[in-house]
Amino acid sequence: MTLSRSVFSDDVAVRLDKVSLRYDSTEPIFSDIDLVLKPGSFSFLTGASGAGKTSLLKLLYLALKPTSGDVSLLGRRTGNLTRDQLSALRRRVGVVFQEFRLLDHLSAYENAALPLRVLGRREKDYKNDVEELLSWVGLGERLHAKPPTLSGGEQQRVAIARAVVTQPDILIADEPTGNVDPDMGKRLMRLFMELNRRRRTTVIIATHDIGLVRQIEAPVFNIQDGMLVLQTDFESGRRRTDPAPPTDLGEEAV
Amino acid sequence: MAKETPLIPVEDARESALFFVVCALCFLAALAALSAKSTYGAAASWTAAVEGELTVSLPGVDRRAAEEAREIIIAVPGVYEARLITKEEIDALLEPNFGSRGLPSDLPLPQLIAVTANPKAENMAPDLQRRLTEAGFASAVDGHSSWEKDVRRVLGIGRWIALIAVALLASTAIAVIAFATHAALLARRDIVEVLHLSGARDRFIANLFEQRFWVLGLRAGAAGALIALLAVTLMIFLAQSTGSRSGLLPQLSLDFFDLLILVLTPVFAGFAARLAARITVVRNLKEMV
Repeated sequence: MTLSRSVFSDDVAVRLDKVSLRYDSTEPIFSDIDLVLKPGSFSFLTGASGAGKTSLLKLLYLALKPTSGDVSLLGRRTGNLTRDQLSALRRRVGVVFQEFRLLDHLSAYENAALPLRVLGRREKDYKNDVEELLSWVGLGERLHAKPPTLSGGEQQRVAIARAVVTQPDILIADEPTGNVDPDMGKRLMRLFMELNRRRRTTVIIATHDIGLVRQIEAPVFNIQDGMLVLQTDFESGRRRTDPAPPTDLGEEAV
Repeated sequence: MAKETPLIPVEDARESALFFVVCALCFLAALAALSAKSTYGAAASWTAAVEGELTVSLPGVDRRAAEEAREIIIAVPGVYEARLITKEEIDALLEPNFGSRGLPSDLPLPQLIAVTANPKAENMAPDLQRRLTEAGFASAVDGHSSWEKDVRRVLGIGRWIALIAVALLASTAIAVIAFATHAALLARRDIVEVLHLSGARDRFIANLFEQRFWVLGLRAGAAGALIALLAVTLMIFLAQSTGSRSGLLPQLSLDFFDLLILVLTPVFAGFAARLAARITVVRNLKEMV
């Protein structure tokens, strides 16, 4: 891909310092959470429904401000940043939303290319890459289909393509394999792993899928009773049995 | 390469309604602006006939004494012409009051002298009055200044009303567009949020809405100005076929400045729409993190 950007050299990709979050006058979703994720780390986030996984991810992709505490991304404390600086930081974060959040009036191709359009890239510079990425996630024949005509699994794959198309420094995915069959689930996880390995993208995946967690040996953070607990820590031994993603995904960054 | 789909989808029904409203407001604003401008022409038209014209009234004198007074008047610097008004002319002037049978023979009528002087000559009426008094004439000199002042005052009020109407219509158009932008933003909040979370800067998102409403304002303004042009053309046609014969209406026409107002109407509408959209979008985006 033409998206050349140097691998970031920040010491810490994600840091939460005593972060609390509450909505209005309700009970806090979580209190005084601390978390440090190094660049190039791969982590899972688990927890029961309503435990606050999505809220925590929203803090990480800067859709929410913490009620107290500091959120730092890529070495920058987000509380002190201007709106333009926050936008610049968001461009380095890819997000797979749980509800996909595709734009219904745009085609699968246009949805996947949306972050590139926001960056002001010219279509002729990214067209082939986006088409190749969509082909790799199994949507090569559905490039021009609008989201309402796509199945849930297809929509999810478009959302994933959109999240990774800029080869972000941080990838945040909320239940990214919830609507696809096991084979496609493995294939998508392989995409995340390749990004993580080749570009040192920090990957954080929220999931209920224990099978998925077991498939990749990585730290698992569990949200329970408003606390964040490191449950399991697998430092090595990732399995790679699925076909490789597009070779240019991260090639130049490696 | 295929044309890129707009990031903000076109809202046909909503934008058609907004187009109609902005078009109507631009039509009214253009008419009000033309009315304000026409008051200048009307003032000139209605006062031009009496500017520099004076009427000297000499009660209790005969025709010969009136001729002596006329000679005194014509000698005054700045006076172009002084003419004794005939009995027939006086009868015609008073016909609306006394009917067509003529005036009673014993009705004491003053001798009247119509004076044409330089309109720029200052204090002409008091000067004539003074000179006639020095010559032993009791006279009254009417410079029509009170009538002229009334006309100018009425037209001045009319001009202010028209300008206030323009301002009100313009601000109403801005408010309507701001409201429509806000509604569009709410309806498309999902898109705005996705763009925002994809790293789009506020001005990038605002620009999407600005472009949309700029074009809408231009098109609606052009339609409104065109309808105003047709209405004014019709008015001119009707005035020329009826009003001008009565002498009541000033000569109506479309000059360069009238056309300039009509040409600028869509440009102002476009800018107003763009400004309203920008302010609304930026204010709404500030509510997001």
